[in-house]
Amino acid sequence: MFAYTIRRFLTLIPMILIMTFLIFLGMDLTPGDAVSFMASPEAMANMSQAQLAQLRESLGLNDPFFMRYLTWLGGVLHGDFGYSLTSGVPIKDIVLSRIPATLELSVAALLISTFLGTILGLVSAVRKGRPVDHILTITGMIGVSIPEFFLGLVALLLFAINLNWFPIGGRLRPEYTVYWDHMKNLILPALVLGVTMTAGVMRYTRSSMLDTINKDYIKTARSKGLPEWRINLVHGFRVALTPVVVLIGFRLPILIGGSVVIEQIFQWPGVGNEFLGAVRSQNYPLVMMIALFSVFAVLIASFIIDLLTAALDPRVQLD
Amino acid sequence: MLNRQLILDKKMDRIRSMEESGTFKVHKGSRGMQKMLHNKLSIAGLVIFSVIMITSMFAPLFTSFDPLAIDLKAVLQSPSTTHWFGTDKLGRDVFSRVLYGGRISILVGFGSALGASFVGVLLGAWGGFRGGFIDKVFMRVSEIFMAFPQIILVLLLVSIVGQSMRNLIFIFMVTGWGSIYRMTRAKMLSIREEEYIQALRAFGIHPLIICYKHMLPNALGPIMVNITLSTAMFILQEAALSFLGLGVPLQIATWGNVLNAANDLTVLKSYWWIWLPVGVVISLFVLGINFIGDGLRDAADPSQQG
Amino acid sequence: MDSDVLVRVKNLQTFFYQNGRCNKAVNGVSFDIKRGKTLCVVGESGCGKSVTASSIMQLLPELSRIEKGSEITYFSEKGEIRIDQQKRNGKVMRSLRGSEFAMVFQDPMTSLNPVYTIGYQLAENLQYHTPLNRKERKKRSVGLLRDMGIPLPEERVDEYPHQFSGGMRQRAMIAMAMACNPKVLIADEPTTALDVTIQAQVFDLIMKLKKDRNTAIMLITHDMGVVSELADDVVVMYMGNVVEAGTLEDVFRSPSHPYTVALLRSIPILGKGRDQDINPIRGVTPDPYDRPSGCQFAPRCDFFKEGVCDKCMPDATSLSKTHSVRCWKFVGGSGYGN
Repeated sequence: MFAYTIRRFLTLIPMILIMTFLIFLGMDLTPGDAVSFMASPEAMANMSQAQLAQLRESLGLNDPFFMRYLTWLGGVLHGDFGYSLTSGVPIKDIVLSRIPATLELSVAALLISTFLGTILGLVSAVRKGRPVDHILTITGMIGVSIPEFFLGLVALLLFAINLNWFPIGGRLRPEYTVYWDHMKNLILPALVLGVTMTAGVMRYTRSSMLDTINKDYIKTARSKGLPEWRINLVHGFRVALTPVVVLIGFRLPILIGGSVVIEQIFQWPGVGNEFLGAVRSQNYPLVMMIALFSVFAVLIASFIIDLLTAALDPRVQLD
Repeated sequence: MLNRQLILDKKMDRIRSMEESGTFKVHKGSRGMQKMLHNKLSIAGLVIFSVIMITSMFAPLFTSFDPLAIDLKAVLQSPSTTHWFGTDKLGRDVFSRVLYGGRISILVGFGSALGASFVGVLLGAWGGFRGGFIDKVFMRVSEIFMAFPQIILVLLLVSIVGQSMRNLIFIFMVTGWGSIYRMTRAKMLSIREEEYIQALRAFGIHPLIICYKHMLPNALGPIMVNITLSTAMFILQEAALSFLGLGVPLQIATWGNVLNAANDLTVLKSYWWIWLPVGVVISLFVLGINFIGDGLRDAADPSQQG
Repeated sequence: MDSDVLVRVKNLQTFFYQNGRCNKAVNGVSFDIKRGKTLCVVGESGCGKSVTASSIMQLLPELSRIEKGSEITYFSEKGEIRIDQQKRNGKVMRSLRGSEFAMVFQDPMTSLNPVYTIGYQLAENLQYHTPLNRKERKKRSVGLLRDMGIPLPEERVDEYPHQFSGGMRQRAMIAMAMACNPKVLIADEPTTALDVTIQAQVFDLIMKLKKDRNTAIMLITHDMGVVSELADDVVVMYMGNVVEAGTLEDVFRSPSHPYTVALLRSIPILGKGRDQDINPIRGVTPDPYDRPSGCQFAPRCDFFKEGVCDKCMPDATSLSKTHSVRCWKFVGGSGYGN
């Protein structure tokens, strides 16, 4: 397992290099003076033209492209992500302050969709061709067809505005003292994001489970006289779970993408909201760095998923 | 539980008596089409799809209002016999905006799906057939595209190239070809091993002809499914982007742009007709496409019998 | 009543219902499985051998059923059990499977669950049919693997199927089947997926078990060589029917049905050199949805006689106490001029 972990980790490195290179290329091509996001605005405010030129030289901005990339990459690896064009705040601080909110929302949605999706998918597969299965299948189709933001709007209107069960938006407020206050804000966006993802997980669990149920070893298990629940759960579901975990890994980018829209609707102060603001104000360095962050998040998540798959399926490590 | 067994038993009895009296139905025509037509959901999908498609395409026949005409005397009217879906903040007729908006949204969805599939299939067929260096490069590139969360990549590109319908289609193509490339490639890889391909090679037929004329048609089933499902995905994405105000420029009516009004809390609260119907229309249309795609998938998959 | 008979199959009909059609996969099969004896069921692929085995275990797919009029009786120590009348995955069937009846499948590569250790899958069987606790189950599993001739059983018990070779997996499968000392072992082409040398070892193992534990064995195969070495009784099947049944002696010494004769003629004999005549059976097995109207073998039969063989399937004719055949040639007054 350890060797596998190391091996899998090493394959991440070229990907990270390519990604950072592309992002740097993007920053280089988009309009804006590189000095303005590489030096803090206070430092720049009281600088003469000559000093600026000197700063340029010292920051290595006159170097050839590839050298500049390496300098920049070194900075990134040391946690220097540059400065936001509009506010002049270090990008690192902006992103770090927003990450907890996004993580909270994504994890909650991931848990909801995984639990609901696998259980419903399992039920659907075991009851294949019966009314429950038909209802779940059609509900699932409807689920993937409704735009998540539309579902969010309807949920907002229904549960926050009309029924007044939940606050309309936001996350933490000064008046919040009990943990439940905080939860109340999380539930609605997490449910909307989770439910939109559930349909996909359910569908996939169903087909993976149906695939497994037809395998020879299920017949073997039945020939041993095991009870049906054990055949379905211990022999079927346990095997069917591996591809489902892989799928959930594949869907993480969709989760992050989905949270951009949901964060906007529920005024959730996460990275996605910041990203939208940056796109709207054409704050290129911030846009690029958040994109880079999201790629990192996806790569690390897929790394973890791979390890999880290896733990679930004893055959994987041998490959 | 017991009931189900009884129903099954009855069905079996019926089939058995038909078989024994020799009156079973012999299916004629394409088995795939048979299955497709047998599937009630895909028929329903086809109906929903056609209705929305036709009303959008022939919008002028169904509404006399100009989707862009501002009428400040008829602002925020609730649905009536003149304005079926009411009017918005600028007095524009929402029904006509939904119809005309459908034209653009469907165009963006289909255009992007076709474009992305064209690129993906063309490259994927060759990559899968030939393998080697070209294939490796394309695989890597598609991997890079797929490592980005789709919406983030799309927004990033929007921020670079700017907002316009043409740019949006281009961006969707750029971000969407990867998955189709991979699928086509995988399919071609398995077809490549079949004996008739070996035979064609032995005859010395030009690789281009083997690849695109003899192999590709056999991979078309899943590709068609993918094109339908991509269309659904791109329509959803256009709607999301326009809803965020970052898709098709706001002055053009699209489904997403109509929904954009719901960003305003008062509109959301008090003027439901501005955003609710269009949301339902998008959902229905995508649902229709998904039903069709599912029917196609069943029809194209020989392993699923029943 | 022959006290040695453990399972009596009488006029078994198992039909499959798919795509609006009915496939009469097994259509009127009768035979007995006797204690301490090996019954070999032979026939081409698709002739209904496996379906017959699955019917005895009630391991049929959902869209199939054992038709009315079929009888599968198990003479257990506690009295007769009519298997065909039991609910498919009901309590009775579950308690029989694994403990009284056990099955070994064709492909050991796919019939073991890849994500559990061999020991886990063995112990699972014991868990449901014996009162042993966890520790005892583990000990018993190791013992079983040792009995099956698997080296280093203490270590291998904790390994996964993919760490076993094909032959070892089939041994593990047999260990699993024999875990609760079943009365009847059904082996469905247990060696088809294995190398020839391994095949012999697996058969040796099965025969040893038969001798040591007095287990009744139903062996499904298409290999006449295997039949001649292992069988006590032989049932020859063609297109869902038993065409000839008898002791090994009956069937091999005096094959009567043209299909049996043809089958035996199509086997090369080792040592006879390359000049021997091998006569493959002409034609192909018919489409199960478009069966010949009379004797199923008629279109491929050298003794086909118009007006007789294409009318209907003949009933079984007894040639001796143990030997029976379903062919018009042996039906007196059938118009088949000898």
